[in-house]
Amino acid sequence: MAIALELKGITKYFNSTDVQANDSVDYDVRTGEVHALVGENGAGKTTLMNILYGLIKADAGEIIINGEKVIINNADDAIKNGIGMVHQHFELVPSFTVAQNIMLGIEPNSASFISQKSENQIVKDLADRFNLPVDPNAVVRDLPVGMQQRVEILKVLQRKAKILILDEPTAVLTPQEVYELMAVVRNLSKMSYSIVFITHKLIEVLQVADRVSVMRNGKMVGTKNITDTDIPDLARMMVGREVLLRVSKTPAKHGDTIFEARDVSVSDVNGLAAISHISFKVNSGEIVGIAGVSGNGQTELVEVISGMKSLDGGELLINGKDITHSSVRERRNSGVAHIPEDRMKVGLNLQTTLDENLIISRYNDSEFSKFNFLLGRSISKFTRSVIDAFSIKAAEPGEGISMLSGGNLQKIVVGRELSGEPSFIIANQPTRGLDVGSIEFVHKTLIEERDKGAGVLLVSVELDEIMSLSDRILVLYRGEIQGELETTNATEEDVGILMAGGKINHRSPQTAMKGGKLP
Amino acid sequence: MKNKRFKKLLDAILVPALAIISGLILMAVLIAVTKKPIFASYGVLFSKGFGCVKSGNCAILTTLERATPIILTGLAAVVAFRSGLFSIGQEGQFLVASVVAAWLGYSIHLPNGVHQIVIILACMAAGAAYGYIPGILKVKLGVNELLATIILNTIATLFIEYMVQFPLRADKATTAHSPLIDKSAELATFMPGSKWGVGFIIAVAAVILVFIFLWKTKMGYEQRMAGQAKRFALYGGVASDKAAIRAMLISGALAGLAGAIEVLGVHRRIMTGFSVGLGFDGLTSAILGQTHPFGVLIVAIIFAGLKLGAQLGLQLKLGIPRELGGTIIGFIILFIAARKFYEGNITAIAGWFKRKPNQKMKREGG
Repeated sequence: MAIALELKGITKYFNSTDVQANDSVDYDVRTGEVHALVGENGAGKTTLMNILYGLIKADAGEIIINGEKVIINNADDAIKNGIGMVHQHFELVPSFTVAQNIMLGIEPNSASFISQKSENQIVKDLADRFNLPVDPNAVVRDLPVGMQQRVEILKVLQRKAKILILDEPTAVLTPQEVYELMAVVRNLSKMSYSIVFITHKLIEVLQVADRVSVMRNGKMVGTKNITDTDIPDLARMMVGREVLLRVSKTPAKHGDTIFEARDVSVSDVNGLAAISHISFKVNSGEIVGIAGVSGNGQTELVEVISGMKSLDGGELLINGKDITHSSVRERRNSGVAHIPEDRMKVGLNLQTTLDENLIISRYNDSEFSKFNFLLGRSISKFTRSVIDAFSIKAAEPGEGISMLSGGNLQKIVVGRELSGEPSFIIANQPTRGLDVGSIEFVHKTLIEERDKGAGVLLVSVELDEIMSLSDRILVLYRGEIQGELETTNATEEDVGILMAGGKINHRSPQTAMKGGKLP
Repeated sequence: MKNKRFKKLLDAILVPALAIISGLILMAVLIAVTKKPIFASYGVLFSKGFGCVKSGNCAILTTLERATPIILTGLAAVVAFRSGLFSIGQEGQFLVASVVAAWLGYSIHLPNGVHQIVIILACMAAGAAYGYIPGILKVKLGVNELLATIILNTIATLFIEYMVQFPLRADKATTAHSPLIDKSAELATFMPGSKWGVGFIIAVAAVILVFIFLWKTKMGYEQRMAGQAKRFALYGGVASDKAAIRAMLISGALAGLAGAIEVLGVHRRIMTGFSVGLGFDGLTSAILGQTHPFGVLIVAIIFAGLKLGAQLGLQLKLGIPRELGGTIIGFIILFIAARKFYEGNITAIAGWFKRKPNQKMKREGG
């Protein structure tokens, strides 16, 4: 097979952060091949692709396309050289139709008039040619995420890209959509397109790739044929040590009810119902997973339970005590810990020191302040103990945290939230954007807390995470509980169907069902 | 660790220092236009702003006196900014408090020592009350504090002018001013020839207290968290609304303190044209001083010195208009505003130094 793209000795050093992001990285993609690129956060994958796409200039190294050395200074150069990028966050105009988005900037008429009809025809032909059916007239914002991604791919194909970079394409998809994407990717490779597939998820690599390259700390660790490797092997290459991929846990020892939501309704920022009339319980010693595609009310549910947002109706109870109208502080004092989904803006204050981040929920304790004065010495002692207990690397008491990696930042959040012996833990997307090593840590910690008798409410869009951690699964769909499953007799397919708004009828009788009504 | 602290300090000082130097260099161009000797101008500017010819005739003491209200209004701005409120109401709070000081200075009679304390407390309360208005508007109705304080500044400027012209006017014949305050209400000065006195000591104490408040107390912690990361504060259980109100009360009280000292220690009355923008100078020194109390202290003194030097030195000695002093300060602010330019270049230069040995190594190696 001919080599479509070759990167040789790509080197990039960032002065501002003092990071060697790429260190003589070699990487190549053959024609008609799917070549996965994996690595932890900060391993240098994104930098490498941004250099290839002309968004960043490399200090050294060369790019060779179809045997010829090319210079790529911007995204236009990249497109001219047949490189197309499908970004993780789609770059579509939500109010435009599919055809308008695909033809944006390359409209067929050279005169100033745009012919909707000929655009639609072009898009229809394109979709037929690649067997990626879309409705050219549909408005993008009305489409499901998977369909929007398809529009992105068509956009790139219409610009005659032969080498496609897919940057974490599965992060936002439901399991079914992931399955469809995999088929699309395989099909494109059959049509002799070359695909760079960037991901965190090793299982996908095995499903879709021909070869896989692993990066760590800016260096290329190795490239393997998919037939010569497996998940533990790849995880080891990524992290540099053995990694426990599936948390081992004993069956839950259910205790008393710790948390209860009764008939809770919440509206979103626009005043529309985000959660309508849901009720559930979390018992001591169990992890209850809330599964669901992002945007089905998870954010609002968590904000209401943690006290950051007020609810429209219903009751919340902690250990039998009504906390429906309690302040955040009162809830925290009654044993609620909260790992928020947005650690950068909500979970942490990146502008201040590690110490001040760690005391946000307990600076009122007599241990940390007396007569309104902060007790600096015992605060740094506490900081030191959290650093040690949660092995937060590259952090020192009294220093800033803005330069720490995502994994270490999450360790700070987890460390703070779990060091107060909480009885109820809300963990919202606790491993989002983390690498395998950090995921392992977070999962292990949550199970330890469960075994110590805490009740855990795990909210995650990662089906894998829900399946491996939860003892019980609630599926959230359009603000309602679409179904409840015991993990022991649930399959990924069942959960996936519920997540997409479907119903399952052949399962356990206690499964509570509700129709997928529109809110 | 020590190295990092040094780097942090350097980062804090570098941009303002470069801005001040750039402003002073640009001054040479303006002086050249007026065809006056450039180097002599610098000499005069500094000796008349910061120098000390002989004991008892020290320009620096007058500079410190003039810096006092700027320090305090600067601190007022620091407290508001650190709490996430872009309040520019220091001028208005300062003026309202000045009216209170001038009025209580002659209308009530108390023994020396008590009189000043009563007036100072009343002025701080007046400033705080005037700061409370934009605070409560922000918290309850979501009114932008910047707009509210702009309007309140205008109201205060007109209010003091009205008070001087009518209710507090001492003498119908001369220009409008209020009666002199009682001797018992005056703040002591240290040296004959300048009004440098107790007021400055109070201001320095306030610098230290504000520093302790913001960085060593629970309340200060709440203020800063609510200011830096609103969502984080909410998440952690900090009552942001309370913090906002508290910020405006403290900020107003500090600006009010400045008004008390300016009346009791310097003018001993209010007169028409009392408002010369000391509150705005404080605002600027807060921004230039990296919204840090110690930064404010330094910048306020530099400001006062440059203005004094321009007035007494450039204007009286060399015949260069004293507005040049204001122009230099204007330049300095402009250079601070263009800080991205410095920061970009500082990083580039630092990177150049850092990489050089590397490349050399490679060349030797290859």
